[in-house]
Amino acid sequence: MPVPILKQGDILIASIQAALSDQDLVRLQEELSERVGRSRARGVVIDLSALDVLDSFATRTMRNIAYTTRLRGAETVVVGIQPEVAFAMVQLGLTLEGVATALDLEEGCAMLRRETKSS
Amino acid sequence: MAESNRASTRAPLPHELEINERDVARRKEFLEFREEDAATLRKLNDVAQKYADPVIEDLYRHFLSHEETQAFFRDPHVLERVKRLQKEYFLRLTQGDYGADYVANRLRIGTVHERINLAPKWYLGAYNFYLRAVAKWLQETFAKKPEDAFAAFLSLMKLVFLDIGLAMDTYIFARDSTMRKQQEAIRELSTPVLQIRERLLLLPIIGVIDSQRARLITGGLLEAIRANRAKVVVMDVTGVATIDSKVANHLLQTVMAARLMGATVIVSGLSPEVAQALVALGIDLTKLNTVGDLQGGIEQAERILGYRVVQTGTEPGSSQLPA
Repeated sequence: MPVPILKQGDILIASIQAALSDQDLVRLQEELSERVGRSRARGVVIDLSALDVLDSFATRTMRNIAYTTRLRGAETVVVGIQPEVAFAMVQLGLTLEGVATALDLEEGCAMLRRETKSS
Repeated sequence: MAESNRASTRAPLPHELEINERDVARRKEFLEFREEDAATLRKLNDVAQKYADPVIEDLYRHFLSHEETQAFFRDPHVLERVKRLQKEYFLRLTQGDYGADYVANRLRIGTVHERINLAPKWYLGAYNFYLRAVAKWLQETFAKKPEDAFAAFLSLMKLVFLDIGLAMDTYIFARDSTMRKQQEAIRELSTPVLQIRERLLLLPIIGVIDSQRARLITGGLLEAIRANRAKVVVMDVTGVATIDSKVANHLLQTVMAARLMGATVIVSGLSPEVAQALVALGIDLTKLNTVGDLQGGIEQAERILGYRVVQTGTEPGSSQLPA
């Protein structure tokens, strides 16, 4: 299932609605790094609030997306990780090192705006 | 052994102790208690019948002559009853059936001893008395064949050690359940998560942290972060007396999980002893945002959230010159 990517000002929003296969994740990574350049976005928000599990591959992909988009000139914020998911992740040692996180979409967008304004 | 096991499988073993038939079989194997031993003991049954009464009488005379054990047998009715039960047990040692039923009986007796507070030292002392008494009558009975007496004694010793092992487990189990109850009581003094400013939570941790409590604390904090839309959490550990690597790990996990939800955690109140211990243990807490005390923690949190606390007017208590 492809993930819809919305554009709001200079922020791209990828809202993941259902569990994704590894292939879907790879496609999301490719698409985001491409769209960041095309739409001259300054920030990316990936909303995971609908997910009730996040495995090591998904975690790694999130990190890859963050690093890739940073190289392409946009900061990525991962938002909406649920308490249970966060707890399970730390137990598995998945900590999303080096990736910005925020409570929800609203927070994530606010964070990106603050950052793009200050830079 | 196998036969007697099968014959008495109907009597269920106490479940809460997790002693099952396999476990009993392993114990017997370890003690090298075999079918021959059971047979040897069975042969002693006639002799045991003969000596039972005097041995029991001696044993209780011994009990009554010591003040610590005397207390358990003040009531003559009780004394009669326990003597009867003791005799049953004594004879049972040589009845050749050491299956599940036997084990269950031993466990029950152990539990009773724990409940009436008969300390293991007296219990073990009684076994010592038993073995000495039995050694004496084996010597008498097998006066012409001392090697038989010795073999019988060794078999009996294996069985006695099996019994002691079971009884010790019931003692330990009873102590453990007391401890479990206390731990539950501590856990019920749950860790509150308090909102002290818009989007700022305070998590005061007091007492001992074990894995289960750490899980509860983390779970509670994460839920509160979502419910209060918190951005900063001050975790105050002034009330945590000792932090070892395990606890430090738990705290780190809590901090990481909060971060995944977009919240920053500030840890405050690490005492000098705790700080030194952590460094000595080589635990890497560089990922933690630590501040000396709770006040400093809250001040830093306010800075992150963009609050500025301004003192208005004069303090009510301070004596200032009138303007």
